[in-house]
Amino acid sequence: MTDEVRPPLIELARAARTYGRGTADEVHALRDVDLTMPPGEFLSVEGPSGCGKTTLLNLLGLLDTPTTGEVRWDGRPVGNLSDRERSRLRLTGVGFIFQRFYLLPTLTTRENVELPMRALGLPRSERARRASGLLKEVGLGGRERAFPHQLSGGEEQRVAVARALANRPGVLLADEPTGELDTGNTRAILDLLVRVRRDRGATLILVTHNPEVARRAGRHLTMSDGTVVRDVREA
Amino acid sequence: MMGYGRGRALRHSRFQWVLAIAAIGAAVALPVVLVSVGGGVSQHELANLENAGYQIVVSAGGSHGIAGAHALSQRILSVASVTVASPVLSVAIDAFAPNGAVSPVLAEGVIPGEFTPTLGPTESGLFPSPLPLGDPSDARHYANGSFDGPATYDVLVSTPLESAFHLRIGQQLLLSQSTNRSLGVEYNITGSFGVPPTLLGPTGAFAILVPLSDLQVLTGYGAANASSVYDAADTIQVAVAGSVSTNPSALSNVRDQVQSLVPFYSVTSLTQEAEQLQSASAVLTGFYLALSSVGLTVGLIFLALVLLRRVEIDRRSIGIRRALGLPAWSIVGGIMREGVYIAALGALAGVLGGYLVVESLARWATAAVQEAAQLAVFDPVILSAIVAGVVGLSVLASSVATRAALRTEITEALR
Repeated sequence: MTDEVRPPLIELARAARTYGRGTADEVHALRDVDLTMPPGEFLSVEGPSGCGKTTLLNLLGLLDTPTTGEVRWDGRPVGNLSDRERSRLRLTGVGFIFQRFYLLPTLTTRENVELPMRALGLPRSERARRASGLLKEVGLGGRERAFPHQLSGGEEQRVAVARALANRPGVLLADEPTGELDTGNTRAILDLLVRVRRDRGATLILVTHNPEVARRAGRHLTMSDGTVVRDVREA
Repeated sequence: MMGYGRGRALRHSRFQWVLAIAAIGAAVALPVVLVSVGGGVSQHELANLENAGYQIVVSAGGSHGIAGAHALSQRILSVASVTVASPVLSVAIDAFAPNGAVSPVLAEGVIPGEFTPTLGPTESGLFPSPLPLGDPSDARHYANGSFDGPATYDVLVSTPLESAFHLRIGQQLLLSQSTNRSLGVEYNITGSFGVPPTLLGPTGAFAILVPLSDLQVLTGYGAANASSVYDAADTIQVAVAGSVSTNPSALSNVRDQVQSLVPFYSVTSLTQEAEQLQSASAVLTGFYLALSSVGLTVGLIFLALVLLRRVEIDRRSIGIRRALGLPAWSIVGGIMREGVYIAALGALAGVLGGYLVVESLARWATAAVQEAAQLAVFDPVILSAIVAGVVGLSVLASSVATRAALRTEITEALR
C-alpha cells in the first residue's frame, strides 16, 4: 500500500460538548479543548472511562458537532457544513475503527469492506480488486465470503481495519481498537495501523486504555473530566 | 434493501412484512371487486340500452302517468322519421292457473304490432313473431277510446311461468287485478316467450303479455265516460328510421319534435340515458374507490409503522452507514425500496385476491350475485391505476420512516 494521501490539518478551538443541556441530566463531556493536529501525526488519547475520549474522537471525525467552539479542517470550520458535506468528508477523508467493530451482520466480509467504496461510486471491478488486496493485507485473504458471525473477534477487527482503509482516507480514527482483543491480535492490529500510517502518511488518532499501545504513538494526550490534562510529544 | 438483523429479528420482520402485505392486499381487493363487478354490470346495462330496438322513451312522473296512450302514440307516429311508437303499461296482477296455482305476475300491456319492432336483437329471438295477440293495432277493442270493441282475451306467458304453472298453449288462464278471483277474466294462452338467461336482463321471469287495452280495462287504467277517456301507459317507446338512429343530431332533432308534442312528459333519447348511466357508473366507481381508501389508509399506516419499526431495529446499522459517510439518499432509498416493494406485493396480492373473490362469487354465490359476478370486467387500465396509486402512496408512507432514519443521531445509534 503505497498510495500517498494528504491528511488535513485538524484543529479544535475551545471545543466543548454538553449533553442534555439545560436539563437536570446535563453532562459536560468535553470542556473548552484546544488541539492542533499536524498532518500525518500519530496521537494516542488516554484517560479514564467517561473522561471525554470518545467525544473528542467523534468531534474530530465529524460524527458530532461541538456545543460551543469550533472544529477546523485545513483551517476551514466544519461546523457550518451541511449534513451532506459532512457525510462526504467522512466518506472520503476519514477511516473509522470502532471498539465493537460495527460490521454489518448481513454483509459478507468483502461486502463490508466494499461498502464505503460503493458509496463513493467506484466501479465493481475496482472495488473487488481493492477489497481483495486489503483483506489479504489484514490476513483474511481466504475469508472474503464469511459473514461477521463466522469470524473471531480479532478477525472482525481486522475486517473493520480493512473497511476503514477502503477509501484511502487521510485520517484514521481508532476508538480502543484493541480493547476486546488478546495480546497477539492487539499486536497484529497495531502493527498494521502503524504500517499504514507510515506507508501512506495518514494521521492516526488512537483512543486507548492500554499503555503498551499508547507507547507506539508520537504524541500522547491525557484527558480527565472533559479536559486535556497532558499533551506530550515524543522527542 | 436495508440490512437485516439475524435470527429472531429477521423472522420478526418477515412476519411484519406478511402482515403489511396482507393489510394492503385486503384494502386493494375491495375496490378490485367493487369496480370490476360494478363496471361489468354497468357495461352490461349499457349494452342492453345500445341493443334496444327503440331510441327514444316518453315517460311521465307517478304511476302509469301517461294519459291518452293510444292517441298519443298515433300523434308521435306522425313525426317525420318515427317508425314505431309503442306504449307500454306494466302492472302487477294475479294469475290463477287451471291447476289451482296462484301467483302475482308482472303484466305488460302492449300494442302487438308496435311492440315487436322495439325488441332488441337479444329479445327478438325470444318472442314469437308476429305476436299471437289478435288485433296487431289494438284498435278494435280500443275503439277510439270507448273500449267497447271486441277483446281477443289472448295472453302470452313467459317460459318460466309456463313451466312453474304447468301451462299449455290453448289453456285458459284467469287474470285478476287482485287476489279476488271473482274479479278475474279468463284469457286464452296463445303462445309463450323466453326470458334472457340473466336476471339482469330486460324482462322479468314471471311475466305475461296482453294487448294494451285488455290490461287497461282489467286493471282500471283504461275507461271512458261521457266527458273523458282514461287510457294510461307507463312509457311510449319510439323507434326511428335507421339513418336517424345512428346520427346523434338528427336523433336529438326527432326527440325535440316529440317533446313538443308532449311538453309535460319526459322525453329522453337512449343516447342520453347511456350518458347518464356512464356518468352514474363513474360516480359509483369514484364512490367505491373512496370507500376503499379507508381500508387503504389503514394499510398504509400499517406499512408506515412496519417501516418505522424496521428503522428502530436497524438503528445501529443506519448509524454505522451514516458514520462511514454513506449518503442520506442511499439510506432513504433502502427504506423507500422496501416500502414500495411491500406495497407492490400487497397491491398485486390484492388484485389477485379480488379476482379470486369475484371468481368464487361467480361460482358459488346466490343466483343474482353469481350473475353479477359473471359480468365482472377486469379492466387492466383501472387495475394498473389502483396498483400504481398504492405504490405511489407507499412512498408517502415510507417518508415517515425515512424522516426518522435521517434524524438518527449517529453517536446515539452507535452507543
